[in-house]
Amino acid sequence: MPEDNRSPIIHIRDLHKCYWVGSMPYPALNGIDLELQNGEFVVLAGRSGSGKSTLLNIVGGLESADRGEARVLGEDILKMGNSQRSGFRLANIGFVFQAYNLIRVLSARENVAYVCQLQGKSKQESLEIANHWLHEVEIGHLGYRRPDQLSGGQQQRVAVARALATEPKIILADEPTANLDSTTGRHLIELMQRLNQSLGTTFLISSHDPDVKQAASRLIKLSDGFIVNSWDEETKPPVSLAVTCPIRNRSFGERLRHFFKPRRRTDQQTKQRTSRHS
Amino acid sequence: MADAKSQLNLHLARLALRNLLGHPRRTLLTSGAIALGLAALIFLWGFNEGLHRNMLGNFQNSIIGALQIHRQGFFQHPDLSLTITNPQKISETLQKHGVTRYSQRLDTFGLAASDHTTQGVMLIGMDPLNEPKVTELGRRIGIGRFLQPDDSYTLILGATTANNLKVQLGDEVVMIGYDRYGAMIAESFTLVGIITSGEMGLDSGMAITSLATLQEMVDLQGQVTTFVINVDERTLPDLVSSLNVDLADQQLEVMPWHTMFPVMKEWVTLHNGFLYLFLGIVLFIVLAGELNTLLLSMLDRTREFGVLMAIGTSRRQIALLMVVEAVTIGIIGILLGTLLGYLIILLTGMIGIDLSILLGSTSRFYVDPLIYPQLKLDHLGITASAILMASILSGIYPAWRASLLQPVEAIRNG
Repeated sequence: MPEDNRSPIIHIRDLHKCYWVGSMPYPALNGIDLELQNGEFVVLAGRSGSGKSTLLNIVGGLESADRGEARVLGEDILKMGNSQRSGFRLANIGFVFQAYNLIRVLSARENVAYVCQLQGKSKQESLEIANHWLHEVEIGHLGYRRPDQLSGGQQQRVAVARALATEPKIILADEPTANLDSTTGRHLIELMQRLNQSLGTTFLISSHDPDVKQAASRLIKLSDGFIVNSWDEETKPPVSLAVTCPIRNRSFGERLRHFFKPRRRTDQQTKQRTSRHS
Repeated sequence: MADAKSQLNLHLARLALRNLLGHPRRTLLTSGAIALGLAALIFLWGFNEGLHRNMLGNFQNSIIGALQIHRQGFFQHPDLSLTITNPQKISETLQKHGVTRYSQRLDTFGLAASDHTTQGVMLIGMDPLNEPKVTELGRRIGIGRFLQPDDSYTLILGATTANNLKVQLGDEVVMIGYDRYGAMIAESFTLVGIITSGEMGLDSGMAITSLATLQEMVDLQGQVTTFVINVDERTLPDLVSSLNVDLADQQLEVMPWHTMFPVMKEWVTLHNGFLYLFLGIVLFIVLAGELNTLLLSMLDRTREFGVLMAIGTSRRQIALLMVVEAVTIGIIGILLGTLLGYLIILLTGMIGIDLSILLGSTSRFYVDPLIYPQLKLDHLGITASAILMASILSGIYPAWRASLLQPVEAIRNG
């Protein structure tokens, strides 16, 4: 369904998502309904585990949902295959992560140019675009530095430039100021606000930083997988595990992936193992 | 579109190279291990090749040549009734094919008798002028001299035979045999040379005289039983085919050295088989080492892969990154290993490897104690290709695993 100016840029209905740790279900989203219009600067607020990141990931096509509908730019992102989602992200969505997540072997401008080259642009054109966006985020003079030669704030600016370089309709930012000091965080938010206003790019930001919340054109509060703007914390409906986390049957592909998945020990497992051996 | 795709692949390849350069120690250690394995293999192939050439060269040059022509059946049952009736035709055919190093012989059995004892020998009549073009028998005569054109009833014996007969240079040795009619004959020869080669086949059971003397003794003037030819190993198969065609109507057998003495060829094949086994072991080590490095690299960069996927890199492109890294490590290892191996072969090929301490008894098997390793391009090609294949294989599993990563989990847990 093609988007028009009146239709929401993000449209979510009755979205459910449950995580499983072994046989234990952990509901993350419990029937979320949400609409975002083009050019909004929306902040998702809530405590850790409230479902902010899960919602962002689903909107960005990084995760699938168990149930519900998620249309982004008119496209049902939940029905897309992996390669379709990958192409969709590249064309329409920019990501800014909490831990910057720049490619450490590339310089700042090469990090930004990378996504342009993924889009099929030539190296020269991509580097020109990268220079432009690095100037936009006010670190044009640092383009040749590697991520480890930049401060946290500078790295996050590079990440914002990378997110903007493909001129996406939507930017999803997951706790973008969490690793920054308050002054640098404020500067980053001002920058994102300015870009939102000048470019009309829609920003969906998850954060519990008061400065970020203050900057929002709309604040959406999440708690235990519910949007709680209209409810008090105490009156929100009880979570029904049977509804949110239905018993699932893993496909053969999922079982295979699970079998080969690289695993890391938790600290607790490491402690148990160490104490067993000592 | 194709141009954009190739540009993108080039871009990903560059990113893979940057990843390798970003971890120079890891890259160099893995490539260095591959290089050492390859250099060791190249050296072993070179040593093996030098040993084989040395051994086969000595074997052919000592007495049998690269190729012999006899009457049909003579090689299995040497009999004076099976002489070559038209040696002129063979000489013309050989000259037509540009073969100049050949000699004629007359072979029969005889009994050598001294004042003390007798011993059965193969009595060979050789052409004193042409034989040195074909074999290096003259160089193996430690006492006395080789035959000369004007010699008459002179004899050369192997050291063991001379020792058994208790004869010395200048002594008289009586040769007893049968002539062409089957009548018993006996002639007296003067011992002019003793072969002291160290090879059992040469030092015992053989008596050599001039072709003219033996022809006269057995009454076969102008007739021979054997043509011995010396040609380069590379031209041997073609020459054998041509001679078989050209001499098809002469009832002759054209026999290259490996048909006459297949055990030598089988020994070389067996020896090469051991090297293929060693190649397999080195390939396994390369595969395991590189797989380990790439898996560690993949685990180390799980978050990075997650981010790359999140910002639009496809699974195929992630896999491509890993495979390019694996192949690049392999190519660096192959280049370094080839260079190192070549230098080792060049150096040892110039000065030789002296195995005289080890070869006390082996020298009886046509091997000189000084081995000069030689590089054969097809061995280098096989080894380098096999290592490149191992590198590609070692990249496939980490690439597959990296492509299965889920972006969110990779970013969260990486």
